[in-house]
Amino acid sequence: MAVCIAVIAKENYPLYIRSVPTQNELKFHYTVHTSLDVVEEKISAVGKAMADQRELYLGLLYPTEDYKVYGYVTNSKVKFVIVVDSSNTSLRDNEIRSMFRKLHNSFTDVMCNPFYNPGDPIQSKAFDGIVSGMMVQPS
Amino acid sequence: MADEALFQFLHNEVIQYIYKSAEGGETENGRNITKLENMGFRVGQGLIERFTKDTARFKDELDIMKFICKDFWTCVFKKQIDNLRTNHQGIYVLQDNKFRLLSQLSAGKQYLEHAPKYLAFTCGLVRGSLSNLGVKSIVTAEVSVMPACKFQVMIQKL
Amino acid sequence: MESQEEKPIIYTMENKPIVTCAGDQGLFTSLYTPLAQQLPREPMEWRRTYGRAPKMIHLEANFVQFKEELLPKEGNKALLTFPFLHIYWTDCCDTEAYKGSVKEDMMRWQNSLRAHGSADWVIVVVETNDAKKKNKTNILPRSSIVDKIRNDFCNKQNDRCVVLSDPLKDSSRSQESWSSFLLKLRTLLLMSFTKNLGRFEDDMRTLREKRTQPGWSFCEYFMVQEELAFVFEMLQQFEDALVQYDELDALFTQYVLNFGAGDGANWLGSFCAPVRSWSGLLLRRPIDMEKRDGIQHGEASLLDLRSYLFSRQCTLLIFLQRPWEVTQRALELLHNCVQELHLLEVSVLEGALDCWVFLSCLEVLHRIEGCCDQAQLAANCSHTVGLWAYATDKLKSLGELCGLVSDKGPTSEDLNRTVDLLAGLGDERPETANSLQSPYKKLKEALSSVEAFERHYLELSHAAMEMYRAIGRLRSARLVGKSLAEFYMRKGDPERAEAFLQEALKSYVSEGWSLPVTHTRKQIAECQKLLGRTEDYLQTSALLAGDVNLSSEERKHFCQEILTFASKSTDKSQKVILSMGAFAQLTRLQFHPATASVHSGADLQVELSLQSLMPVSVCVQQLAASIHFSLEHGGTHGRSKGTQKQTNIGTVDFSQGNLSACPLSSSAAGPSLELDEIQDRSPSDNSLNSTGMVCKNTHLVMRRHDSSSSPDTPNCVSPPTVALDDGAHMLKVQDITLEPGSNSVVFTAPSGDPGTYTLRQLCATVGQVQFVLPHIYPLVQYEVYSQEPLLTVEPLSEPLLAGLPQMVKFTLLTGHYTVKKGDALQLSNTETMPIMPSTSCTASIRNTAADLVGESLLSIQSSEKVTSISLPPTPPYHTLEFQLEVLCIIPSGSDRPANERLTNGEVRHRPRSYSHPDTPMTAIDQRMSIDCPWSIYSTLLALTFYIPFKTKHSLLSAGNRKYIQVCVQNVSDVNFQLVDVKLTEKQHASLELHSLNTKAQQLVCSKQSVFCLWEVRWKADLPSCLQCVFSANFSPLNQDISAFKPFHYHFQLERVTTLYSVQAEILPAAGEQHCRSGALCGLEVCITRLTEPGENEMGEESKADSDGLKTTKLMYEVADSSSNWAVCGKSSGMVSMPMLANATHKVQIEVMPLFAGHLPFPKIKVLKYLPHTAAPAIQPDPDSCVENDSLSLLDKTLDDQGDTASIRSRGSVHSVGSGEQQQRGLAMPRLEPFSPGQVFNHSHARQVLVLPATDDHIMEVNAT
Repeated sequence: MAVCIAVIAKENYPLYIRSVPTQNELKFHYTVHTSLDVVEEKISAVGKAMADQRELYLGLLYPTEDYKVYGYVTNSKVKFVIVVDSSNTSLRDNEIRSMFRKLHNSFTDVMCNPFYNPGDPIQSKAFDGIVSGMMVQPS
Repeated sequence: MADEALFQFLHNEVIQYIYKSAEGGETENGRNITKLENMGFRVGQGLIERFTKDTARFKDELDIMKFICKDFWTCVFKKQIDNLRTNHQGIYVLQDNKFRLLSQLSAGKQYLEHAPKYLAFTCGLVRGSLSNLGVKSIVTAEVSVMPACKFQVMIQKL
Repeated sequence: MESQEEKPIIYTMENKPIVTCAGDQGLFTSLYTPLAQQLPREPMEWRRTYGRAPKMIHLEANFVQFKEELLPKEGNKALLTFPFLHIYWTDCCDTEAYKGSVKEDMMRWQNSLRAHGSADWVIVVVETNDAKKKNKTNILPRSSIVDKIRNDFCNKQNDRCVVLSDPLKDSSRSQESWSSFLLKLRTLLLMSFTKNLGRFEDDMRTLREKRTQPGWSFCEYFMVQEELAFVFEMLQQFEDALVQYDELDALFTQYVLNFGAGDGANWLGSFCAPVRSWSGLLLRRPIDMEKRDGIQHGEASLLDLRSYLFSRQCTLLIFLQRPWEVTQRALELLHNCVQELHLLEVSVLEGALDCWVFLSCLEVLHRIEGCCDQAQLAANCSHTVGLWAYATDKLKSLGELCGLVSDKGPTSEDLNRTVDLLAGLGDERPETANSLQSPYKKLKEALSSVEAFERHYLELSHAAMEMYRAIGRLRSARLVGKSLAEFYMRKGDPERAEAFLQEALKSYVSEGWSLPVTHTRKQIAECQKLLGRTEDYLQTSALLAGDVNLSSEERKHFCQEILTFASKSTDKSQKVILSMGAFAQLTRLQFHPATASVHSGADLQVELSLQSLMPVSVCVQQLAASIHFSLEHGGTHGRSKGTQKQTNIGTVDFSQGNLSACPLSSSAAGPSLELDEIQDRSPSDNSLNSTGMVCKNTHLVMRRHDSSSSPDTPNCVSPPTVALDDGAHMLKVQDITLEPGSNSVVFTAPSGDPGTYTLRQLCATVGQVQFVLPHIYPLVQYEVYSQEPLLTVEPLSEPLLAGLPQMVKFTLLTGHYTVKKGDALQLSNTETMPIMPSTSCTASIRNTAADLVGESLLSIQSSEKVTSISLPPTPPYHTLEFQLEVLCIIPSGSDRPANERLTNGEVRHRPRSYSHPDTPMTAIDQRMSIDCPWSIYSTLLALTFYIPFKTKHSLLSAGNRKYIQVCVQNVSDVNFQLVDVKLTEKQHASLELHSLNTKAQQLVCSKQSVFCLWEVRWKADLPSCLQCVFSANFSPLNQDISAFKPFHYHFQLERVTTLYSVQAEILPAAGEQHCRSGALCGLEVCITRLTEPGENEMGEESKADSDGLKTTKLMYEVADSSSNWAVCGKSSGMVSMPMLANATHKVQIEVMPLFAGHLPFPKIKVLKYLPHTAAPAIQPDPDSCVENDSLSLLDKTLDDQGDTASIRSRGSVHSVGSGEQQQRGLAMPRLEPFSPGQVFNHSHARQVLVLPATDDHIMEVNAT
């Protein structure tokens, strides 16, 4: 389960960023923003990379002592970032993948919503719901 | 894509509506065309998001254009683009020898003067898709004998 | 040899599989060297069990003398000490010796081997020639010895006994035997490996399966599997070795996780023990024995185990040339360890882990540096940088822990803590003891003093930043920078700090990450405050005060910071100028009036809508907009231009600088497309070639603009250098309060001098602080114009009709001129257009907005030359309107006053009349010249009147009797009535004009005509020339008598008298009753002189013939226009008439009617015949002369009036003219027509009955 989930626009500004209330939101903003470095690195690597490396899931961007940051980029260059607590060792890679898929599906719905203007921050309740489903429930 | 027939009918009605509701004079400066194109743009943005959901990341521009010609076109118009040409300077010409939205209009030069309004939406569709894929472009179209038509994509080099 | 024997087995990769040597030691020693050399030379394929890929390996061996104790005891799992092969060496060649000693020895050897169940042995028989020579006696064939050995020992496995012949000779034979021997040796070795390793692995697996059983110990198992790893390493199978460690790693990790999940394994106890030593990884030794022992004896802590495990993995990875995997694994390991300790709830001294991690990071980095060159390192920063950053973090937190960051330095308990931490490091390892830069030394030093710490910390941070930059991870670099900044802040060095913060902020702003922006900005504010950079600080505060991410308390605080500074009444000189963007935003601007264009002096209001971003309401002493004034449009152009130029500007909306620091979305970027349809038609026939859609503004859309939207004012940190220009012109309001949210401020714009005013800057003054909006964009302008006074006169009703009193409207735009009391308009009168004196004439005064401000009565004095209208006082830029009634006299025919000077010295223009294209009426331009008080020149105004009537006259005769007909045509659109229609003759009193008009009053509807007729009666004789005046009174229909206006029409008639009467008779052919068509009949024309020659007739065209009797020559002509008649014979002829009354002359002419029916008589013309001698007839008519020279001026008029009389008279004049010319040329006789009425034709309009022809034939002939 994630402690922070973010959607970042083509131009690298946040479209949506949500973190568990128990922890310092600001820190996550910094973490996610920094993770863009690696995202870009991986995206730009595509040029020479083999086909199999061209999947949308970018894998573990970088681990820190207390967090693992995973990345995913849609073909529309929108980035999803999921931050997981390192202590949460039970989480397997394919679980992360499926989280991203869910996220992507929901985001697509947002994009296809006539009331959403592409490039604006995401306010969709539906999307919110999906995200909170993946977040660590504050106990 | 919704049932093709449905899409076509809706598309026709949209055009009808736009041109009816426009008071005279607007047609001159191409306001209606632009309106239709903008509609297409927004639709394209959403559509491409869906279509590319399960595809691998694109290698490059050409990769994207191929996707548009194959998968995208097939999803929307139930056939592939017949011919894609490029000057490798960011200009692509997509030729569809039997463009679905024109095939109902005529086979030949009849109603030729009306053809552009039936292409505007599609131009927007393509532009919207490309822009959402991070490729800024201008899409124009040309018809000499229906139902064949050419779309020209001019890509902005960044 | 001995040495080998003594050599203690230490576990390094120098280890080789052990091979024992029994038998003839001397012999072996002699062969040892070549053997050891040649064994590894050839690679050997090793087929593996469990479907593992076969490998080629070079075998080496460690040959030791056979000892009983070398053989593995029962249950001994050691593999490294395991002898894989046993060799017995002998060169015995005689049976005796063999039987005597060797055999027993072999036997003993064999037994001991068998006892320990090791079946991997071989017997080598070396044969040499010299050995043969030694004992020639009782020589047996060598083979027999070998055979003996074979069947003594190796029953049916002969390969266990090999022969090596002449090993020390250099001969092909010895070569062969060597190679075959080596091959055998290798094969046997491999067989042994496969067998023994296989067995070992099986045991190992079974052991692992037992791991759930209570007694099981990880450490034991660890040792076992590591043994395997060692062997693989020994065989240089590093991959396989690594696998062993990775398996162990995974196994252990799993245990820890399970432990975390709840089920604890008892053996984990030792690992849960509190951490006492945190000396970090040690990667310099291939094998860290002390740690290994620790593990072996189950005393190792978790860190020890992990460290040892990793050090082994590291060693192997480096053998495998995969250093970057080391760094990556290292980072994971460190993170992982921290987590595991946490998970196992191992108690750790605070900071101990930081030490451990720090040391470990550096150790790994050093190890890597040790085995790569600089280039490689540089190229692979991305792998190492993580460790650098991690180390930096850790060092920092250590520094904080030990009070090395605070500017005061460490406190006593800080020091105690430091001592404890250092204690945990233990002593420096011997490996690094003599290297200056060992992690150990670094850490010790760093923790020793504030300065040292700073030095090391900075070194690390910069290293990390550099690397991040190098690999383009700028965000990460900036993040390091930020923490560096925080460090500097702690050290009380805000200056350094700010630089880093600013850099970071820039990226956050440009990428629109509002939270980091806010946070960083707060830090910056702190720096700036400490640095006493008031301006920047206030600017930042302003931004923060308006920052929605902050709590209202914080916002209020920052707002208060500004206000308190502002209220500080320091010396007026230093004002702080900040950019307005942060303080308030200009949302819209409205002009009242919306035209944004007023005349000078008028008041123009500008309404600003300001969005205040402050959390509290702020009192602004002055809000001012500086204005740039330019004359470029010239002061004086009319309002009209102003408006149409400015209409768009009534309201200006300003784009919102978005506060949420969220850059424009991709879709919004760039100009929007403008598309259009195109049709390509073929030039030949206009058919469509193709259609399509094109983009009209491609160049705009395609223009490259960097996608990263530049930060707008509220975001960028230091205010743009605003040059506050104190323009002379300002919009000002004093002391207003800006509430949070939108406010509306109304200015009164200066409109003094005419010109264009451009709003440049907006400046809000709050005490010492000035918030300045450096540029107001889009451009906002208003115009002030000044206008010359303008007097216009226009008809109240179109068209103005001449002859009737008409209302005209005088409009005076005062412009910049103020009409004072006593100002008057002086109209110089003309008699062609008198101004009707009116009793009550009111003037209305309106302002620019066209609403009535005042009315007042006008006083109008008229002298005979001038009419002066005294105007009521009127303010500038007002409209003064009044109406006057004027009458344009209809110019009646011929009277025309000579030019004269007007009172004002202007040349009076004679009203010119001309025909207007769009109306049948004749137009007359009436100029009036007016002297205005504001100008020394008099204003000339023109009014166009239209004459409602066209008048024609004609002379009718019946024999001698004369009639005058006047036709009045109403060409206007108005219906008139005509009363007392009169016709008078001026000169001849005797003459009487008897009206034949019955009606007293005549209605003349629009586009209709009235005809009036008079009979001319006279006493003695009829004057040849009549000057007539037609006069009538007319008025528009149904108006009272007073409204009737006179209408005059002058004309003259000449040569009125009838001179000749012409009679004609048509006589049928003889014997006929009636004329027949096609039949000749006679036409008898009889011309009779009616009067005595008149005096003016005397001179002309007459000549006295012999008997003194005057005659005149006439010419007659029978011309049938309508070709009813064919004139046979001469149709014209000359007659000389005696000039006497009743003189007659008859002419016979033959004519033939061509048709039957009542045919009109053929026309009979009579003309004067003037012989060349005769002097031309000139009427002594002064008028016509005047007319002649004023012709150019006149002719048009007369033509249009259709003054037939004057046309005639002129016509004659012309003919005279032409006559003169002809005379000057060659004198020729010529014909001259009579004036109408001079000749009266009786036959005119007479008819004669013609019967159809009896004979067509004739008719046909005649027709030709």
